Amino acid sequence: MHEDIILQHEIEQWLYKESELLDQLNFDGWYELLSEEISYTMPLRINQMEKSKPDYSEATLLFDDDSTTLKLRIDRMKTDMAWAELPPSRTRRNVSNVKIKEVSENEVAVHSNLLLYRSRSTDTTADLISGERKDVLRKENGDWKLVSRWFLADQTSLGTRNLAIFV
Amino acid sequence: MTTTSTKQVPRLDEMTRSELIQYLKDTVKPEEGMIPSYIFSHPKVYELEMEKIFLKDWLFVAHKSEIPNIGDFVTREMGGQSVIVTHGADGEIHVLLNVCTHRGMKLCRMDNGNQKNFTCPYHGFNFKNTGDLIGIPFQKVVYGETMDKSKMGLKEIRHDVYADLIFATLNSEAVSLEEFLGDIKWYLDLAFNRAEMEVVGLPQKWNVDGTWKLGSDNTISDSYHTLVSHGSIAKLGLVPTGDYSKYGYQIYTGNGHGLNLGMPNPDGFAFPESLIDEYKERLNEDQYDILKQMKNMIVCVSPNIMILISSMDLKGQKISHTSLRIWKPTGPDSMEISSWMLVEKNATEEWKRLSEQAFTLTFGASGIFEQDDTENFTDITQNSKSPYHLHENIVFNYTMGMHQEPVEDFVGPGIVYKDKFNEANSRAFFRNWLDQITAE
Repeated sequence: MHEDIILQHEIEQWLYKESELLDQLNFDGWYELLSEEISYTMPLRINQMEKSKPDYSEATLLFDDDSTTLKLRIDRMKTDMAWAELPPSRTRRNVSNVKIKEVSENEVAVHSNLLLYRSRSTDTTADLISGERKDVLRKENGDWKLVSRWFLADQTSLGTRNLAIFV
Repeated sequence: MTTTSTKQVPRLDEMTRSELIQYLKDTVKPEEGMIPSYIFSHPKVYELEMEKIFLKDWLFVAHKSEIPNIGDFVTREMGGQSVIVTHGADGEIHVLLNVCTHRGMKLCRMDNGNQKNFTCPYHGFNFKNTGDLIGIPFQKVVYGETMDKSKMGLKEIRHDVYADLIFATLNSEAVSLEEFLGDIKWYLDLAFNRAEMEVVGLPQKWNVDGTWKLGSDNTISDSYHTLVSHGSIAKLGLVPTGDYSKYGYQIYTGNGHGLNLGMPNPDGFAFPESLIDEYKERLNEDQYDILKQMKNMIVCVSPNIMILISSMDLKGQKISHTSLRIWKPTGPDSMEISSWMLVEKNATEEWKRLSEQAFTLTFGASGIFEQDDTENFTDITQNSKSPYHLHENIVFNYTMGMHQEPVEDFVGPGIVYKDKFNEANSRAFFRNWLDQITAE
């Protein structure tokens, strides 16, 4: 029990730290948290009839990234022509309901909720991206690294102009 | 001492319909390259567009590969109206108004699925996937013999198919789809008839506070913006710097349809080599010759379809991807983008996988090309809402390339300009648009 609480605390703190880096636009710092084997995907939420069926499609991915393509996205942000984030959105990631699902020697599977508030430019209305995350973290050289992230938004038609941000 | 201005702010809201139409004719001057700003967000202009364009034109609703089996369906929207596109029990495609004929309830609220019947959530009227009404709860009791079910089937919307693209129109008097598409068919063949194509998954959808017209305008004419809007991509070395997007042709084929064809491709054939026989079999020699040299192709089918073939180097491999999207108007100053990714059905799994990844990275909702465009669409639309624009008749300059003459030596149909930095296609698009919305 004691070990469970420590692990829960450690993983929660990792997720909060990750959110902080992204909200502070420290993308290089964020990239340091990723394993080289990172798989970063976002399936499409759909309206489906059968309740038993998952209401999303893995055939359509809104993010479909690995360490090479994530690096590309970050490098793009550093050019002075990444207009989608000039000026950068103000984002506030609220991570909650952190549930550790599986623990092995050096890996944890953790599910959480993400409520991402995004304010663009002078807009007085904000974009909200809400959804569920399924992450796998692995201990590499003593540090937890993100091996996979799966994010499923709650909207079938996104109420934000683009995904020039990370989820 | 006070001064009084004699200048009147044009009050579009107070104009009669014919005054508004006259005002549009007086201020929108495509041939002079003058497109006034107010048309990009004014609600009165939007009302005319809905009535004269979106209730009249042929609109894209689905690709045949989305409903391959009997019972398959997808729900889509056209002109603000929900429709169900079904592969009916009779083996035919049906485009059905998604409105129960009893009380107007939306019959189906799912994005896709496979169903024999659709049951109305309000009173349980039950319709076959061909649109026929087959069941009414307590029919004998509540209607006796007075109800003729054969007259209460779902309204079937006129539709037709070209290159596996299912189009529908809410206008029973529309010209045939063949005639509406005209010469753009030659280029649609390159995109969707070059091989058997299939849609991957379902369309991604996202919402932008920008007018749909900026999407179509950007598609039909604007390769010039890539220099700056997509300058980050050149800085990363994903595309050559400078004028890479200039080379090729800008082509107008009539009825508001046109394209920009990027060629030659310095990096070689951008499609799966294993399918060369299939390409040769399905395309004529001239078309295959274009496919061989193609770097990219950006097609606008009026009013609001964008078709894109793009190629890039990803992970050391030359890869192309093909997509179709609609700029669906959701208001005078807003749209929903729906974007379908397609692949060659007979390509290898590895090729399909890389093509999908290339699409998602560059042109989906998270696409690194895509995302910068939405900044332009949003801010232009916002600016155009200022009353100052209407008051001063602020116009956008669309005169680029007016000194150019079309060339005669291109193999495909249409009015063809050498190189893509030109606004000829936008001038033609807005002429077509103006003629449509001012038609009596």
